[in-house]
Amino acid sequence: MSSIPEDAPPHCPGTNSEDAGKASACAGCPNQQICSSGAAQAPDPDLDAVKERLSSVKYKILVLSGKGGVGKSTITAMIARALALDNSKEVGILDIDICGPSQPRVLGAEDEKVHSSGAGWSPIYVAENLAVMSIGFLLNSADDAVIWRGPKKNGMIKQFLRDVNWGSLDYLIVDTPPGTSDEHLSIVQYLSSAPSVAAVIVTTPQEIALLDVRKEITFCKKVNIPIIGIVENMTTFVCPKCKAETAIFPATTGGGKQLATDAGLPLLGQLPLDPRVAQACDLGHNFLTEEPDVPATSAYKDIAKKIIEYCKNQMQHVMIR
Amino acid sequence: MSTQPCDLEDLQIKECPADVRESGRANVCEGCPGRELCLSQVSKPDPDQEIIDTRLKAIKHKILVLSGKGGVGKSSIAVMISKILANEGKRVGLLDVDICGPSIPLLMGVADQPIMDSQWGWKPAISSDGNIKTLSVGSLLSSGAQAVAWRGPRKTALIRRMIKDTLWGRLDYLIIDTPPGTSDEHLTIIKLLAAAVPDGALIVTTPQKLSAGVVSREIRFCQKMGIPILGIIENMSGFCCPGCSTVSHVFSSGAGDYLAKKYDVRLLGHLPLDPRLAAVQEKGCIIESACFDTINEIIRKIIIIIQDLQTL
Repeated sequence: MSSIPEDAPPHCPGTNSEDAGKASACAGCPNQQICSSGAAQAPDPDLDAVKERLSSVKYKILVLSGKGGVGKSTITAMIARALALDNSKEVGILDIDICGPSQPRVLGAEDEKVHSSGAGWSPIYVAENLAVMSIGFLLNSADDAVIWRGPKKNGMIKQFLRDVNWGSLDYLIVDTPPGTSDEHLSIVQYLSSAPSVAAVIVTTPQEIALLDVRKEITFCKKVNIPIIGIVENMTTFVCPKCKAETAIFPATTGGGKQLATDAGLPLLGQLPLDPRVAQACDLGHNFLTEEPDVPATSAYKDIAKKIIEYCKNQMQHVMIR
Repeated sequence: MSTQPCDLEDLQIKECPADVRESGRANVCEGCPGRELCLSQVSKPDPDQEIIDTRLKAIKHKILVLSGKGGVGKSSIAVMISKILANEGKRVGLLDVDICGPSIPLLMGVADQPIMDSQWGWKPAISSDGNIKTLSVGSLLSSGAQAVAWRGPRKTALIRRMIKDTLWGRLDYLIIDTPPGTSDEHLTIIKLLAAAVPDGALIVTTPQKLSAGVVSREIRFCQKMGIPILGIIENMSGFCCPGCSTVSHVFSSGAGDYLAKKYDVRLLGHLPLDPRLAAVQEKGCIIESACFDTINEIIRKIIIIIQDLQTL
């Protein structure tokens, strides 16, 4: 990633350069003071703290899309719940959608508050082996607007990674906001010091979604995050009365399947549009246990299985402790 | 080990100052990790504000399409409103400030039109349907797969250029499509429009409570920034099965009415889920469908609301 700020003059030596702030090109640059004081290139002491915290987290899975409203939060929660069905595994969910945090509601934990101690912030446990952290738990009221610019959001994400006391986790699933911006750059930056990170990309079938998802795939490649595969959500809707199947979001350009082929990635699953999933998320119920026999539940469990396989076979985990 | 509940006060996290000139200087900035960056960027009065104000004075009505939540149909609705107004003979511009996920070029059928630079500024793309002036970062990218992974300050700088350096000319309406969230893009566009006084914001939600939860923050954001809310549109409100005509609430129900009641805001209408709309919009053309009747009604309401606001 470039170390040349947007407002830098021509011939900027870069904020990490030894000449930062001192070169002749720096005269008049608004960042000159920061650069010459060395603050821009000083190693971030928090990165070590983040590395330390994450050393007891075996696998980190980012749930990305680029497009909003495709079901990232829903799928994050479902995958995490599916992984947590194995009682021998410890699973965590980190919600880094600072402006639109959904996990507290989806997991039925909207009224919970985070507690802190000498060991750090305690995440909220929604099951014996499933913990979650979100800015949603830190807001005074459910509709407080979090109107933050980029640097502040980055600070919060770093704090989550540094201060949340997850303990030992087998899987940390990270729910992200739509886009490829501060939150994504930050999480990738902070996780780069920790091994065993991979991404699951979520899309819906229509071209307007694929347009953004292709950018997300490009982003992952640029920042060297391996992609486990693509999940296509809202593939078809089955009418509860007559059972007719309709593609509400038509795959005019081949949908997730074609995208996976074009990008050389596995298609992890195609999830149907089941209104009961939306209802369960609104109420904070565990859809997998409430409706164990429906196609959507099998599809989620199948995706979780593929993630487990990928982690076992493809991700090198190095435990420092 | 003793524990106590955290709240925002303990964590010393407060909202960024709404006025960008205060960035880094306000009391709340104490201890913020972004303070140095903000201070370095905001040192003098904005020399571009005069040019920006001049550009915006030539535009009669500025309408923001907001949500907070992603994937609710902001872009689709912005496009439909633009096309219907243009078809009535209005001069319409459509500005897409979603830097990471620009949908507008595809929906407007201008994906192949480059943005030309002239001595007077950037010339927006023109849609064949309605002569709508369209500007999106999507039109500035060399390929559709190119990812724009920019941090806040860089996005802010581009949005400023999209107003300051663009030949919008005289317009009756400028519809502004926004990304999800309440962050840099939103603060920037509101600040840029401050002197020009936008007519207001249209808030889009889906029927789900999950959407209401996020959209309520956007409503609070508008209230805090002093942006009038023209009304709420509930999109994806029910799906009529083509086989048996049963209406299913695919994305639950109730959020639109709930938000309208809770925040004392007009509910402008409910738009149904129409698969034909999704397919046809991607080809960049307009069709007659149940959606368009409802959207037409909504636009009538908006025009009356804007006129009423102006006479106040």
